[in-house]
Amino acid sequence: MWFKRRSIITYTLLALFVYLSMKLTEFDLSKFRDFRNMIDFLSHWFPMDFSLLPKILEDSLETLAMAFLGSFFGLLIGLPLSFMAAKNTAGAPFVYHLTRVGLSFVRSIPEIVFGLILLTALGLGPFPAVLAIMFHNIGVLGKLISELIEASDPGPQEAMKAVGAKNWFASLFSILPQIWPNVLSNYFYRFEVAIRTSLVLGFIGGGGIGQRLFNDFKTFQYTAVSLDVLVIMIIVILVDFFGSYVRNRVI
Amino acid sequence: MLEIRNVTVRYPSMKDNALNSINLTFHEGDFICVLGKSGAGKSTLIRCLNGLQKPASGEIVWDGLPLSTLHEEQLQKVRREMGMIFQHFNLVPRLTVFQNVLTGMFGYRSSFKNLIGWFTSEEKSLAKQVIQEVGLTDFMDRRVEHLSGGQKQRVGIARALLQQPRVLLGDEPVASLDPGTSDRIFSLLKEMHHRHKLQTIINVHDVQLAKRYATRIIALKEGEVIFDGKPEQFTDDMYVHTYDASGYSERPYTLTT
Repeated sequence: MWFKRRSIITYTLLALFVYLSMKLTEFDLSKFRDFRNMIDFLSHWFPMDFSLLPKILEDSLETLAMAFLGSFFGLLIGLPLSFMAAKNTAGAPFVYHLTRVGLSFVRSIPEIVFGLILLTALGLGPFPAVLAIMFHNIGVLGKLISELIEASDPGPQEAMKAVGAKNWFASLFSILPQIWPNVLSNYFYRFEVAIRTSLVLGFIGGGGIGQRLFNDFKTFQYTAVSLDVLVIMIIVILVDFFGSYVRNRVI
Repeated sequence: MLEIRNVTVRYPSMKDNALNSINLTFHEGDFICVLGKSGAGKSTLIRCLNGLQKPASGEIVWDGLPLSTLHEEQLQKVRREMGMIFQHFNLVPRLTVFQNVLTGMFGYRSSFKNLIGWFTSEEKSLAKQVIQEVGLTDFMDRRVEHLSGGQKQRVGIARALLQQPRVLLGDEPVASLDPGTSDRIFSLLKEMHHRHKLQTIINVHDVQLAKRYATRIIALKEGEVIFDGKPEQFTDDMYVHTYDASGYSERPYTLTT
């Protein structure tokens, strides 16, 4: 009844793609024969070296600051741009198209590419990493918020025009309260992503706990690596909790 | 005085004109109800009056000023003299009753003051006064989404009143309310009409309500005025003509095909 002959082709194609992808990625479960090695390797991670905790916390703070500044500046710049990138508030069509294209351009460049360019130009350290995170988040938040704006209820906007408010103000004042909880929700998600990004940026010299993790790993200090990882996990979980707390307070 | 001269409105998505060369004059002191089927052009008519909808041709004239000749800033000054209430209330969500009512003053203040929400104590007491007039004093600090439909429309009315308007426009303000609440909203509107000397122009579906409260009824059909007169002149025949209904033996036209 629901099995059509055409489905055979679909499933065959799907199987083919899975097979090809496995070939390309050298996907091979038989490699787990040496699973013992992994256990042996992981056993070097313990016991954790807690004497390093103060330094690790200091670096974590730097990572948090990087992620926060990068994503917050991204929001600050992305929010006004999102109004120009939404059909219902852009005003002129060329503003809408220009902003859209601009936002997808910055969004299409991965943070790591921004990072590599900026770190070369500005030198090692967290500052270029903040900028890299910021640029990417302008693109991402600008697009996400512009979609919230386009989906917002046009009624209040009309009412604000009817009381005689200026057009730009009518849009801003009626739309922002509607989308605010979702803006925050998106922002906190991006903040969380920015923490992970700043770890990767640390690997290429962007500072913070990412750089420490990378250095510890490369110098075989596995008892430090394990503590780095633990602290990173705790931070991500804490930020997630904080984010949902703020969101619940706002809604 | 508010005048509609030869106004035609066309929507790109529609074949027929939403309004077809309409001429109407609204006099001060009238409480006007506009009747007509859905799609007859009632909303378009109301939205033309304060320039939310621009006519394809013809002219809306307010106090001798043709609206099409005004630039944005002058149009905003006209709009603040015309309060407007809506079917879906169109309150700003997540703000309180008090905050929503205060927005009625936005047309008189600078955008900067509006943005930071700075109001003088005089402005605040004016807002409290209109909230009292619509009977919502006990709900002042309640968020608008926690109110009932009737209460939301009272907020809408208070917001419009704070504009100190000369005209009150209503785009189906009771269409999503139950009959009892609709009647109470209309009697409030009538009271405000008298007290604030408002020229009131409202769209309704409920003919009984229109006949009970209006001093003049206008009926639209397919973008044209088919009736303009006193409520008692709006006969049953006129009702049938306006709504293509024949009382209790209404025939669904889809069956004839």
